[in-house]
Amino acid sequence: MMMNGNVGSGDRGMTSLLSGERVAKSSVRIEACGDLDELGAVLGALAACLGEGRAELKREIEDIQGELLHIGAWMGTTPDSAAARALPGFTSGPLLSLEGAIARMEKALPPLSNFILPGGHPSAAWAHIARTVCRRAERRVTAVSPDAPTAAVLPYLNRLSTYLFVAARFCNKENGVPDTAWRI
Amino acid sequence: MADLNQGRGRSFDTRVLWVEWLSRTAFAVRLERPSGFLFLPGQSIRVDQDGMERDYSLASGPGDDHLTLCVRLVPGGMLSPRLAGLKPGDLLHFTGPHGYFLYQSAGARSVFVATGTGVAPFVSMARAGARSFTLLHGVRTAQDLYFREELAASASRYVPCLSEDVTQGGFRGLVTTWAEGNLAPGSYDFYLCGNRSMIRDFTLLVDERFPGSRVSTEVFH
Repeated sequence: MMMNGNVGSGDRGMTSLLSGERVAKSSVRIEACGDLDELGAVLGALAACLGEGRAELKREIEDIQGELLHIGAWMGTTPDSAAARALPGFTSGPLLSLEGAIARMEKALPPLSNFILPGGHPSAAWAHIARTVCRRAERRVTAVSPDAPTAAVLPYLNRLSTYLFVAARFCNKENGVPDTAWRI
Repeated sequence: MADLNQGRGRSFDTRVLWVEWLSRTAFAVRLERPSGFLFLPGQSIRVDQDGMERDYSLASGPGDDHLTLCVRLVPGGMLSPRLAGLKPGDLLHFTGPHGYFLYQSAGARSVFVATGTGVAPFVSMARAGARSFTLLHGVRTAQDLYFREELAASASRYVPCLSEDVTQGGFRGLVTTWAEGNLAPGSYDFYLCGNRSMIRDFTLLVDERFPGSRVSTEVFH
């Protein structure tokens, strides 16, 4: 019977990629995996403070958390390995879903004419935090230089930041909290 | 590979062909191979019996017309006693294939390390054509050396590591102890399948003594 879980083989600062290589936990691939993991956790916090009647947003967030795990698996896999050949490719489908969700929420929002300050309703604040973590994850993933099967990853993360910005505004509007414009 | 990706996680119903005891504490379950079920050597299936799910590596070759699981009987366990009681013709539900414990190299630099029924994926890899590997099988007594003849015929070096009984040959001690004293310095492709303590201790040994190696792991209870 197989089990999941930590066995303690990383107690000295090394870990295994999905493709088997032993690497330092400070390596670029593990840094990318860590930021994707953090983003998934922050999205969990966002979902947790969404009120009743936000089923669609919650479902989208769960889908995104799943996609982030998928991207994390790719970040932990070197090209041309057996694991890379068996791992399902990251397609453009999730990107199209994000774009559809962005369009849906933008329809309900007034046009933006100023920079806005992150914050407002707690759910909006979490969406802004998620957006910044997403940008960091994107930078880390860029450093890994994704290979062909993950070509759709960078557009996805780029669009995910947009989604989270729009989601923050959407959460404020749905909760009756106005966005705070930046005034110089 | 596209077919395998599409098949990941699919549900299948199959029938039991037979259950055979490998030792006093472990048994093999042979299943009909459902049409359309593809897998790679080293992958597993998730058996669902009365709502209880457990993952088991396949010991079959990818070209075999049947599926074989190696199961350690856990007294009082939730699933293994039920599997031990299966009869030919009984229905079994599973999903799969799952996992990325995959053989990706060739030649003498591959070292397979198993404890107990963790040898199952290596049987699958050998049946898929893996050769010239070193296999360390850690067990308590020689009767627990499942698939011994078959694996010894495929391996360039087959090392039974027995913790209790060496009357039928083999190394007296842990797989880590054998590797520490007998494996030449260098980098290898290690495949570890077994209990937590073996995987932890062996991986730490690799970091210390065999830098530059790859380590793929599958934790078994």
